[in-house]
Amino acid sequence: MNELKVGVLSCSGEECLGGTISRLATRKVLEELKFVKTVTLCLPLYLAGGEEERNFAKVFPTISVDGCDKLCAKRSTEKYSGKISGSIDVSKIIGTENALNSRIIRNKDLKPEHYEMVDKVAGEIVKEISHLSPDSYSGKSFGGCGCGGE
Amino acid sequence: MDNKVKVIPCSGIGKVYGLIARESALKTVIELCPEKSETVCLAYIVSGDEEVRKKMENSRCITVDGCPKMCASKNVAIAGGVVVEEFKVLDTVKAHKGKNFGMPTYLEADGEVVVDEISEKIARIINEIN
Repeated sequence: MNELKVGVLSCSGEECLGGTISRLATRKVLEELKFVKTVTLCLPLYLAGGEEERNFAKVFPTISVDGCDKLCAKRSTEKYSGKISGSIDVSKIIGTENALNSRIIRNKDLKPEHYEMVDKVAGEIVKEISHLSPDSYSGKSFGGCGCGGE
Repeated sequence: MDNKVKVIPCSGIGKVYGLIARESALKTVIELCPEKSETVCLAYIVSGDEEVRKKMENSRCITVDGCPKMCASKNVAIAGGVVVEEFKVLDTVKAHKGKNFGMPTYLEADGEVVVDEISEKIARIINEIN
């Protein structure tokens, strides 16, 4: 039997802390959320991959998680794949100054306060998922990619 | 004109190799070669915005990819960047068979060793060309 699944897609931006928080919070939801199965995709696969990757948001109701207000994950998903079902702007949760911090980006530089930000953003992702109608969950399977995963 | 070499990792989210790519690029631009290199969000490059296309056009780039899909390298090329060197994390980890590198969200000590190796190779190239 197919399990019902929701897509969560992170920008993982490399230029600022917001990208790091978006990546870690997305992974946290993928690993820990129990009430619905979640899947993800590496965003750059929209262009580097094939049709299967570009169908991601058509197959799964998808929540985008962006580190800053450029909203690259949201806009790229809507440009290359399909309509977003919900979106998170990390800078609105942790503050623009924190999100655009370009000195603390590496995992090894993160302090307990940054992991609190990860928890807070993960909580918001879960809230966004809980707003989806269960009827919209996808029961389809997705092969994923070499680096992205379920 | 911005003459810094752009170091662009894939930051793949599914396996530890994506994190190794990310940390290698960030170690290079933040610690090893801050004056000569910088990074650009790959997601921003993927967006295809005019601003980032202008930034990438004809710029010298080093890419670091965590899997054979080569997302960083392909997307940089699509955006008009010139890939002067492409690193594949899997090429470096081959020499460390059987080690525990960590998870997609954190690196074990052996993962840090690979990050050090790759970032030193990237820095060497940057210092040669810049």
